[in-house]
Amino acid sequence: MPPMLPDFSNSVKLKYVKLGYQYLVNHIITLTLIPIMVGILIEVLRLGPDELLGLWRSLHFDAVQILCSSFLVIFIATVYFMSKPRTIFLVDYACYKPPVTCRVPFSTFMEHSRLILKDKPKSVEFQMRILERSGLGEETCLPPAIHYIPPRPNMEAARGEAELVIFSAMDSLFQKTGLKPKDIDILIVNCSLFSPTPSLSAMVINKYKLRSNIKSFNLSGMGCSAGLISIDLARDLLQVHPNSNAVVVSTEIITPNYYQGNERAMLLPNCLFRMGGAAILLSNRQSDRRRAKYRLVHMVRTHKGADDKAYRCVFEEEDKEGKVGINLSKDLMAIAGEALKSNITTIGPLVLPASEQLLFLLTLIGRKIFNPKWKPYIPDFKQAFEHFCIHAGGRAVIDELQKNLQLSAEHVEASRMTLHRFGNTSSSSLWYEMSYIESKGRMKKGDRVWQIAFGSGFKCNSAVWKCNRSIKTPIDGPWADCIDRYPVHIPEVVKL
Amino acid sequence: MAEVNYICKRTVVSTKPVQPGKSHPLSVLDRLVEPSRHVMVVYYYRTDRSRERLGEVTQKLREGLAEVLTYFPPVTGRLVRTESRGSGEGGWSVKCNDAGVRMVEARAKGSVEDWLRNVDWEKEKRLIHWEEMYHKPYFWSTFYVQLTEFEGGGYAIGLSCSHLLSDPICATVLIKAWADVTLRGKMTSPPLFHQLPAHRPGSRTPNKDPFINLCSQRPTSTNQSATSSASVHGKHKTISLSFSDQMVRSCVASAQAHAGGPSPSPFEALAGLIWAVVSKIKGRRDGLVGLTMGLDIRKLLGLDDGFFGNCMVYSQIQPNSEENCLLAAAMAIREEKAKFEKEKVMDLIEWLEDNDGSKPTQQTLACSDLLCLNLESIDPRWAIFEDGSSPIQTSLYIEPTCDRGQFLVLPSPSEDGPLSRTVMIKLPRDEADKLLEDDLILQFAPTVLMGV
Repeated sequence: MPPMLPDFSNSVKLKYVKLGYQYLVNHIITLTLIPIMVGILIEVLRLGPDELLGLWRSLHFDAVQILCSSFLVIFIATVYFMSKPRTIFLVDYACYKPPVTCRVPFSTFMEHSRLILKDKPKSVEFQMRILERSGLGEETCLPPAIHYIPPRPNMEAARGEAELVIFSAMDSLFQKTGLKPKDIDILIVNCSLFSPTPSLSAMVINKYKLRSNIKSFNLSGMGCSAGLISIDLARDLLQVHPNSNAVVVSTEIITPNYYQGNERAMLLPNCLFRMGGAAILLSNRQSDRRRAKYRLVHMVRTHKGADDKAYRCVFEEEDKEGKVGINLSKDLMAIAGEALKSNITTIGPLVLPASEQLLFLLTLIGRKIFNPKWKPYIPDFKQAFEHFCIHAGGRAVIDELQKNLQLSAEHVEASRMTLHRFGNTSSSSLWYEMSYIESKGRMKKGDRVWQIAFGSGFKCNSAVWKCNRSIKTPIDGPWADCIDRYPVHIPEVVKL
Repeated sequence: MAEVNYICKRTVVSTKPVQPGKSHPLSVLDRLVEPSRHVMVVYYYRTDRSRERLGEVTQKLREGLAEVLTYFPPVTGRLVRTESRGSGEGGWSVKCNDAGVRMVEARAKGSVEDWLRNVDWEKEKRLIHWEEMYHKPYFWSTFYVQLTEFEGGGYAIGLSCSHLLSDPICATVLIKAWADVTLRGKMTSPPLFHQLPAHRPGSRTPNKDPFINLCSQRPTSTNQSATSSASVHGKHKTISLSFSDQMVRSCVASAQAHAGGPSPSPFEALAGLIWAVVSKIKGRRDGLVGLTMGLDIRKLLGLDDGFFGNCMVYSQIQPNSEENCLLAAAMAIREEKAKFEKEKVMDLIEWLEDNDGSKPTQQTLACSDLLCLNLESIDPRWAIFEDGSSPIQTSLYIEPTCDRGQFLVLPSPSEDGPLSRTVMIKLPRDEADKLLEDDLILQFAPTVLMGV
């Protein structure tokens, strides 16, 4: 019928107009230079060699001038290359795969909850409703100390979990990269909620007998975005130390933080946080350029802690009975949205193509000068990146970001599937998501990846990586045995 | 000396998730069982403490258990009530919700040999973990495993499970699968969860009466209080007698009616022996007390070794013999056993299915009866978890015990010979003491494993 076709052809026309505009603006320099170059070439060919030689002689250059100008050129080139920041390569990374015996199906979790909170049926009901809508699957893992009835989160068990997770991830990393422990120059370990003395980085140094002049750091209390903060720290250190490598270990130790009270806002982390960890090898050596998987392009950190509401939205405190837990406030999503906007405003100019930036600029000018009621233009980040790794903090976070950035289901697939298979593993979830994309064979040379992480404070950190070489499947990683089953459809509510 | 320290209690889940929405309906034989009845088994093993650290075998067994539970979804499921067909509550069914089984880990002082030297029911109870059904059975685990390691060497595996889901033979099928997976990584007879075989639809003859005096395992309301009080007050004592191959042969010879006639099976002979002696002890000078005999009908129905569920039929024997002797008892048992034919058993199952809603015609396990179970089909070699290490002793209990007493005939774990048997007898305390001094029993010189 007539009405259908015009709409369709309209949208197709619009698409082509958009494409044309983007091509024009993004390649404006090339498009202006080519005619000029062609013009010069035609002129040169027309003039012929003798005329060119005559033109050259008429300029009256003598030897000194030529020598000075060439020295100037060489000097400027040297200064440029010296002051350029070193390229940071991500050689490889390894994610921890928990043993199958630590698996916690929904029914077991609910049963334990019921047995432990015998006289608090409302809290059990609440946990059940959270679990039903959480987006987690039946294969997520909790550490052994939480499997006991009642759970026994003592320090020994916490250290045991830390050793299990961190050492497995590091052994896996050594095996993948051929790195020798004695060659590690910088070690950064981040684990937000468990901070023993001596630190976890000291534990690693002790286990692997690392060098005595190693530069080691232990970041604690920085929440789920601490992984990217550690990468940022490693990058800064690698600028100062030439020819070095850095190992970053991101994990979250669940054992000591299992909340045993019944305050609802604090029970939420129990349902979502799961065991996981990752070890990453970064390097600034030119010899690693060939075999490195990624190159770090940008790192943007945004901190909204100056705002009181943002500061208190994820707060560790004692409840009425004196039990310690992490209180998540109700406006968490709104604050996350604000932090994201702030981060995007900084990262946009760095990564967006010229066409998007121009549109944004025009809309901004228009809003300021002509009509404030114009909708702000949300730049299309899909043009800046091929892959997105959104921290799998919970289903709500992923849904919110998908809506705000107008991403398709395929873009957020890595995040959703990581949440389903591994749960919220805090700072290491970004690496599980990267591993998912690689295992699916979607990572090609030149692809740009955007990792976004949120954390308590409230922080929003982003990292932009560029893929250095195409990664061939099958790869050895945490998804090796189950990648064929994914993606799965995750229902809105799982009936328990 | 023998102290058992409980280290922890946890839930063991299968290594692969169960497909959601699965359920395992209970068969008619399952539904005949009274919900509070449970089966308890203990297996004892030796280990070389110098080679294996404390806790190592527990971990290995726990990982093996997680592996094997993937193949037994009903074991990790939970009981739910289905819709009722008539008045009253609906029947039970198992929802396979992947919740797991409870496991308790414990340590005991001394070595396993020291423990076995003077063990009795009270002590063995500490090696088995059992919890009565909760008010809300959806959170109640139907299977419990306890792993106790002896500091001086050896370990004990205690398995207890609800009789609604599995009879003693089925419990040993689970242990066999667990042992196979721990030792070899794969099972020799994978479990099968299907309905009991029935006649083809065309050849069903409705409303045939059962061919035996069928007993359900439900105590009647008047007798129930009597049963529970007796077992609670511990008025029963357990005796475990091991009859060597040679002694069983001579018992069989004594129970033979006349030379050249049909030779009774070891079960008939031994069960007859115990029945006759217990009748005498209970004061019946002539004739025998009523006996309820439980027989395994797996082989009869042609079911595979891996069939999961209750598959035992209990029939009441009212002997009309005036004699109180081994021969008469063995003959009465033999006659009852002969009644069991495949067609008749299938008719019985049909009858049960038709009469599922109302069970007025079934007699219940009255406390005036002695209970006897034939568990010869349990192969002691089934429970080998480590290379070359077969169990040194096995104990099996069915709780709660009925007042009159019960005895189970099991094959012996020793390498003695194919006919050697272990009989576990539970009687009121005074009767148990008299049993050990009875001439007829002493004639066959059994080794007393428990009950001295």
